[in-house]
Parts: sequence; structure tokens; C-alpha cells
Amino acid sequence: MKLEPGFKDAGTLADGAEVDADVCIVGSGAGGSPVAAALQAKGLSVIVLEEGGHHTKPEFRMREDQAYPMLYQQAGQRATKDLGISILQGRAVGGSTVVNWTTSFRTPEKVLEHWRAVHGVSGLTKAALDPHWDAVEQRLSIHQAAPEDVNRNNGTLQDGCKALGYAVERTFRNVKGCMKSGYCGMGCPIDAKQSMLVTYLPDAVARGATVLARCRVDRLVSAAGKIERAECSVIGGDGYAPAGARLTVRAKHFILSAGAINSPAILIRSGLGGGMVGRRTFLHPVVGTAAKWREPIEAYYGAPQSVASHAFADRGAEPGFFLEAAPIHPMLAALSISGYGDGHRRAMADLPNISAHLALVIDGFHPSEQGGTVEVAKSGAPLLGYDLPPRIWSALKEGLRTLIRIDLAAGAEWVASGHDPPLQFASERELGRLDEAPFASGKIAVFSAHVMGGCKVGDDPAQSVVRSSDLRHHTVENLHVCDGSIFPTSLGVNPQESIYGIAHLMGERLAAAWT
Amino acid sequence: MTRRSFITRGLFGGLLLAGAGGLGLGLWPTRAGWQPRGALKVLNQRQFAVLAAVAARTVRAPGADPQAIAERVDATLAFTTDEARSDFGQLLMLFENALAGLVLDGRPRPFTRLQPEEQDAVLDAWRESRLVLRRSGYQALRKLTLAAHYSSPDTWPSVGYGGPPQISGVPT
Repeated sequence: MKLEPGFKDAGTLADGAEVDADVCIVGSGAGGSPVAAALQAKGLSVIVLEEGGHHTKPEFRMREDQAYPMLYQQAGQRATKDLGISILQGRAVGGSTVVNWTTSFRTPEKVLEHWRAVHGVSGLTKAALDPHWDAVEQRLSIHQAAPEDVNRNNGTLQDGCKALGYAVERTFRNVKGCMKSGYCGMGCPIDAKQSMLVTYLPDAVARGATVLARCRVDRLVSAAGKIERAECSVIGGDGYAPAGARLTVRAKHFILSAGAINSPAILIRSGLGGGMVGRRTFLHPVVGTAAKWREPIEAYYGAPQSVASHAFADRGAEPGFFLEAAPIHPMLAALSISGYGDGHRRAMADLPNISAHLALVIDGFHPSEQGGTVEVAKSGAPLLGYDLPPRIWSALKEGLRTLIRIDLAAGAEWVASGHDPPLQFASERELGRLDEAPFASGKIAVFSAHVMGGCKVGDDPAQSVVRSSDLRHHTVENLHVCDGSIFPTSLGVNPQESIYGIAHLMGERLAAAWT
Repeated sequence: MTRRSFITRGLFGGLLLAGAGGLGLGLWPTRAGWQPRGALKVLNQRQFAVLAAVAARTVRAPGADPQAIAERVDATLAFTTDEARSDFGQLLMLFENALAGLVLDGRPRPFTRLQPEEQDAVLDAWRESRLVLRRSGYQALRKLTLAAHYSSPDTWPSVGYGGPPQISGVPT
């Protein structure tokens, strides 16, 4: 049967239902949504399957205890398998774009050039992508933050960079009518953030697409070299556990847009693993500082991110890093501040005067940086393993050193690292202590909100999963992958706009090919 | 190494837990200090008691309620994978286990039967361990209990957070 257009919940369908469409897109985030809108616009019937729920602004109550279980993978508890790196990733209709902190960058041209020269990617050039970024920026109201959009948390980062002579710029944000309340990470309560939930998904639905929430794709089933159907579990009322009901979706074309952890996991569960599937997963591994200021910072209010420094993005032979701020509401602050017991309580009592700044390491550009590996556990759940190589650890240390210097230069009373117990620095003279400090899994907090790679694009089937021209799987002729998993490396910038731009380009190409 | 073996293989647990029965130390019962008020989703009663005892040390904040924290952690675990739940349950049992404590840290009593300062010493030993899996275990206990506490709006006044702003038309 064909479903009616609209946002639907899989729980409303009969157990064993069989659904047909021209195109089945798995995942409703930054990759799947622009493609859905482009294909439906050309008259193809599109169904978008989403494991998470369909949540909208009346449910976005700006509370961490509600937002994380509702909108994040594993209620915010996703991590690498040794628990060494915490991973914040969205899980809802709209994907991570619903909880994204709005920072928008085009892919740096030299990253695209690196992909061409080292990874055999053809056609993903600045010239090819520019018109698509133009279109996306217009649709999502992406524009540069104004000076008055810079809150104290970002302002202290900006001040410190300027004091030390480091380049720092105001970021571009995908917002329209933003009140700068500070709750991007919990779902925008006023639909000011131009996430997929309020842009390309409604565009697709208005043209006749169906978005089916609470529908987990267990596997894709092939016959004669093509995907014949997606076998799905309906997710129950708690949003996580399968309810028991099953669903089958048949389509002429399948597009995997489930993100860099789940897309390779679906391929593996479908018997399409091996080769580069689930290999080279990159995270922009992050360390942070928590600094104490004499005046209130209130890092939880205001636009979460409005400045960034790429002064250290290119460090020659060593991995580069870039610097941004993080909004820390009480729960995120409790996780960012290390230690436990009385020391932790005292640090938390200073929360209004605490800033949170991040150093994100640009991984995947050196031959020794092979990234992480996605596997599938017995239960079917994806597992990401990522043992950071020494080069990345040393870049994390330099990133941390740079942040501490910046915070002190801007006038912080003290700056704490994410070591456990925390190291505190009140002056530059103390920075030498960092050289004795441990940089190893479980010794210092490392996290990520940028998951990339695992279904690498490229023209050599032995070295990639999908081909450059249309992101088609090298051997399965009606299967495409379109999300952050196709990146051969990390990006050196926040990934959302790179995914939008590539998805917009591919949506146009696939629509032309299929109509 | 799969996620499932995170605790069992990583901490030579197979051997350790097998030997525990023979020596008796591993069977020293958990002090049933904390009980859940309702049905648990993931943990058993013993694991719950250990977790609440951990929370009593990690979360030393005004109004901190180890029972409520352990209940919230149990609810959060329901949103994780089968493997993560199983690992966390094993982690709690190993953390509690007297024989493991004797071998690893020279303390021959279950965690729940130690004095508060001794309990902190156990947390510190896990935090400082040379074994990445013990450090990760400590971090898992620390993060889950602290997040469970500070995710509650009841804690906002204690950290000077004024809560979300009033936005016209947005319910709070």
C-alpha cells in the first residue's frame, strides 16, 4: 500500500503492514531531508523512515531531563565501546539537526581538494557545491551572528583570542527570528532554528512525501544485486524498545541517511559489510576547559555558539584543532566538571561564573589516523571503537594548552582541565604541569558531537563504499548513502552544512536520473 | 573485543568471579541500605543498592537523594543498548565484590559495607587505576549519578541557575 502524505507514526500501522514507494530514505536528518524534498519535488513518491519520534515545539520545554531521553541517541549516553569518548548525537524526526547548536560552515576547499588528491573523490568540488550551499543557506536562513549575538561564554573566548592575536570570527547560524534563549540543544521552543524539522521535511511532506517516525530499519534485504525491501521494527511508546510490530517497505531506490554510526551498522546488519564499511569513523575529538570568572558568564543563556577560532586548524605535519564554546546547563555542566563529591559540588555552585570552551581536533588527514570502527553487537546495536592515536592525544594536549592560555589572557580567575581529578591553572607559569598530566582514555574527558565517516566516498571500490558521482553503493545498483558517513576524513568545521550541501547536490542529480 | 566483554574479560573477571565463590569473600552480601520505591526497569535490587551507595558518595550536593538518583539512572539505562545495560550491571557487581576489592585494592569487604571515607578510597582507586576499564567504570558511575541528579529542576537553585526564560506562548 501507499501511505498518505504527512508525518506519521509507525505505531498507527497494522502489524505486518507492507508499504510501497518509489524511494525509501532511511533517516530524516541533515542527509535524508534535502534529498527527500528534491526527489518528491520531481514527482517521485518518497517515504522517509525515522527511528526516533516526531517531536515538535510544544514538547521542547527547555529541560535537560526531558530533552535528552526524547531527542538523543541512548538518552545522551552514547559512547565509544571503552566509554573513553562520549558522543552527543540526535535521534528524532529531523535527526541531529533538531538539537544542533546552529553553527554552519561550508566545507573548506582544501578538505575537498584533499579528498580528491588522496581519496580518489571526483566531482565534489567547490564549484560543483557552491550553488547548492547558496540554495541551502537561503532556505535555512544561514547568516553570520551579529556582535550583539555573542554571549559572555563566547565573548570570553573571543576576547582571549584577540588578546593573544589569534584569528577569531563570528560564526554563521541557521536561525530565523532567534531569541537567543540558549536552548538549541534541547529542541528550539519557538521554531527559530531552521532544522530539518521545520524546513526540508515539511517541504517534502507538502509535495506528497511521508515521514514515518518510530520505525527502525533492522535490515535491507537484497535479491539479484538490488535491495528489494527494508524490514523494520516499530518502536514502542517509550521511544526506545521495539513494540513487537513489524513493517516492510518496498521501493525502487533506497537511500541510507542514518548518520555515521547507524548507516554503516545497517549495511553490516544487511550482510553488506566488509571492505571500508564501518571503517575510518572520525569524531573531531574534543577536550574542554571550565574557567571561573569574577563576573557572571551564564553560559547557558544566549546563542550557544557565535564565535570560532581556526587559528590552529593548520599546524603543518601535526593534526590541527579549532576552538568553540559550549552551552552548559546544569546536567551538561555536571558532566563537564570532573571529579565527584564535595569538590564537584563546590565547582557546581560556581556555575553562573563558569565558562566552557572546546578544542576540537581535526582527525583523519595523516595516514596513521585511521579513525574508529563501527561494528554491530549481538543485539544489533552499533558499537563504535576508537583508540585515539598518539598524534591525536598530543593535538588534544596542545588544544587544551591553547584554551587555557586564551581563558587566562581574557581574565579568568582559574581554568580547569577535564582531567579527573581536575588540574587547575591560575597563571601561564603553571602550564608546564600539562606536560606531566596524563592524556589517555579515562584520564581526561573526551567527547564528540561530530560523527563522520564509515561509508567513505571514492572512485576505487577497494578503498570506498559509494562512488563519487551519485553516492551509489559500488555493487548494489539501487542503494545510495547520503549523510556524514560518506566523508573520507573529518572536516575541520562543524559538519551540518557540509551534509546539507552534498545532500542538496545529490538530490538534484538523483531526481534528474530517476525522472 | 566486543562491548559485551567490557567488564568480564577486561578485568580478568571470569577467573576472579569463579574463584570468588570458593573463597566466600565474593559472596559477602550487599548491605541492603537502599531500596527502590517502585519496579526497576533494568537493575536488580542488589545492583540498585550498590548504585545508590555510590551516588551517596559521588553526589554530595544539597538535597541529593541517592534513592531518587539510582531510580533515575535505572530509567536512563532503559534507553541504552542491551550490551550497555548488561555491562553496567556487571560493573556494579564487580565494584561491590569483596574478593575483587581484596585483589585489586586490598580491601576485603563489599563496597556497601565500607565507611564513607573507605568508599571514597575505592572510587579514587578506580579513578587512578592503570587499567583503562576500571577508569571507564569509575567515569560511568560518576557521570550517570551526577547527570541523574543535576538533570532535575529541583537542583537548579543550588547551582544558581535561574531555569529557562519565560517565552510568550511557550509552556514551562
